[in-house]
Amino acid sequence: MERRVVITACSAITPIGHGKDQIVESLLKGISGIKTLREDQLISRFIHSKVYGTVDYPVDYDFKRQYRKTMGPVAYYACQVAKEVLEQSGLPQDFITSGKMGVAFGSIHGSPTVQRDIYKVFFEAKDKTAYQSIGAVDYLKSMVHTTAVNITKMFGITGRVISSGTACTTSSQSIGYGYEAVKYGLQEAMLCGGADEYDTITVAVFDNLLACSTAFNSEPHRTPRPFDKLRDGLVVAEGAGAVMLEEYEFAKKRGANILAEVIGFACNNNGGDLILPNLDGITKTLTLGVENARINAQDVDLVSAHATATKMGDIIEAQAISAIFGNNPYVVAPKSYMGHTMAACGAIETILSVYMMQDGFIAPTINLEEIDERCAMIKHVQNVLDEPVKIAAIQNFAFGGVNTIVLIRKFS
Amino acid sequence: MTRQEIEREVKNIFQREFEVENPEMDVDLREAYAFDSIDAIELLLEIEKFLGSELTQEEKKRAMDIRTMNQICDYIEKLAETRKVAPVKK
Repeated sequence: MERRVVITACSAITPIGHGKDQIVESLLKGISGIKTLREDQLISRFIHSKVYGTVDYPVDYDFKRQYRKTMGPVAYYACQVAKEVLEQSGLPQDFITSGKMGVAFGSIHGSPTVQRDIYKVFFEAKDKTAYQSIGAVDYLKSMVHTTAVNITKMFGITGRVISSGTACTTSSQSIGYGYEAVKYGLQEAMLCGGADEYDTITVAVFDNLLACSTAFNSEPHRTPRPFDKLRDGLVVAEGAGAVMLEEYEFAKKRGANILAEVIGFACNNNGGDLILPNLDGITKTLTLGVENARINAQDVDLVSAHATATKMGDIIEAQAISAIFGNNPYVVAPKSYMGHTMAACGAIETILSVYMMQDGFIAPTINLEEIDERCAMIKHVQNVLDEPVKIAAIQNFAFGGVNTIVLIRKFS
Repeated sequence: MTRQEIEREVKNIFQREFEVENPEMDVDLREAYAFDSIDAIELLLEIEKFLGSELTQEEKKRAMDIRTMNQICDYIEKLAETRKVAPVKK
C-alpha cells in the first residue's frame, strides 16, 4: 500500500530569521546570517575560521519547568519549531496523543554545551562534590535523541520515534523516513525535522580538515560562496526546522492547509571514504530519488543544492546535477545565506523550497559573483526570479558518505 | 531543628529548584505538581546540602516511596535524628 504524503505545516529558526515572513524577506533582500564567531573561552582562539551562521535574535520561549529540566539549547530549538508546526497544522490534541502520529527528529550529537560541562567535571573533579554536580538530567539533555524525545514529552506524542544522527543528512533523513512511515501506512502523520545549537567543536572539526572558510573573517556576510570562484569553505551554523507530514486523504478530510506534497526520497551510501564527496554515490542518489518520485528528471524545475562551498564538494555536486538533471532546473544554494546548519539543514532547506513554491519566486545563491567554470554547466540563479516552482529536489550529503534527496511538488 | 524549620526549608527548595510556590502538604506531588523521579534525585542533593551530610545509598532508596510534602519532612526529620547534628542553615 502506497499513500500520498503532504506537508501541512512548517517552521524554522534560522540565522536569517524565525518563521516565514522574516526568512522570505531575507531571501528576497539577499540578507546574510553569517556573523563573527563568538569567543568561547575554550577553543575559539585557535580556530582559523572566525565566522558562524548565528541566530542572534531572542526566541520567545514559553516552556514550563517540567519540560525545561530535560532540555539543553538544542532541545529548546527543536521544541519551539515543533510547537509552531503543531499549532500551524491545527491537528487536534486527541490525534496528537493517539499513537497515529510519530516524531522523526535529530541533531548531530545532542547538546555539546551540556556535554562540555560534563567533561569539565570529568577532567577537573577533585572531590565528590564536583562529581555530584553531574546532574541527573545531563544525559537526557545531551543524548543524541534529546530533540525527538523532548518533543514527545512536551506534546504527549506516543507514536514512532526516529532519531537520525547522520550529521548533515540528519533532518533530510527525518523527512525521508517520516515520509516512508506515512506512505506505507505505519503512521498517519509524522512531525519531522532537525536542530543544532551554537557549537565551536563542530567548527574546529571542519577547520582542522581545512574545510572552513577563513578568507572572509573580516567580512562575514561575504561567505560562504557556493559555486563561486573565490569560495574557500563552509561556514558552520545553528538553527532548527520542522515540517508536519500527513497522509493526503486524512489531511484533505480534516480540511488541512496543504502546503506541498512529498513525492520522493532516496538515501544511499558511497560505500567507502567517510569524508570525500563521491560523484558515483551522489549521482546514484539523485537517480534513485527521481525513480522513487516516479517522474522524469526533466520535470524537476528547482534543485536546492547541498553546496557547502567547499572546493571539491561543489564541483562534484554540479557534475552530478548536470548528469541527472542537465541544464534544465534552476540550482540554488541556501547555505549561501545562513551557512551550514548541520542537522537542521535538510529540513530548513526543504522549508525554503516550500516557501518559494508558495510565493512563486526563486531566491538566488548569494555571494555567487563569478561562477567557477568547473561548476558552470548548471543553471545558477544570481538574482531573484519570479518563477513558479512545481517540483523541487532538496539534496544533502553527509560525513560518513551518506547522501539523500527529498522531492516535493507544489500542491494544487 | 524543629519541624517548622524543616518545612520552611523544604518549601524554599520547592520554590527555588522546582518553581512550585507554597505546595500543599498532603497532596500527591506527582499529580499536583508533575514532580517526577528526576526531581526526586535533585531533591535528594538539596537535602544533603541542607543537612550538610551525605546520604547513603540505602537512605536514598528509602526516599523513592515519598509522595507528599509531609512525607519529605518526616524523611528529613529521621535523617537529622540519625545524624544528631543540626542542619546547615542557608
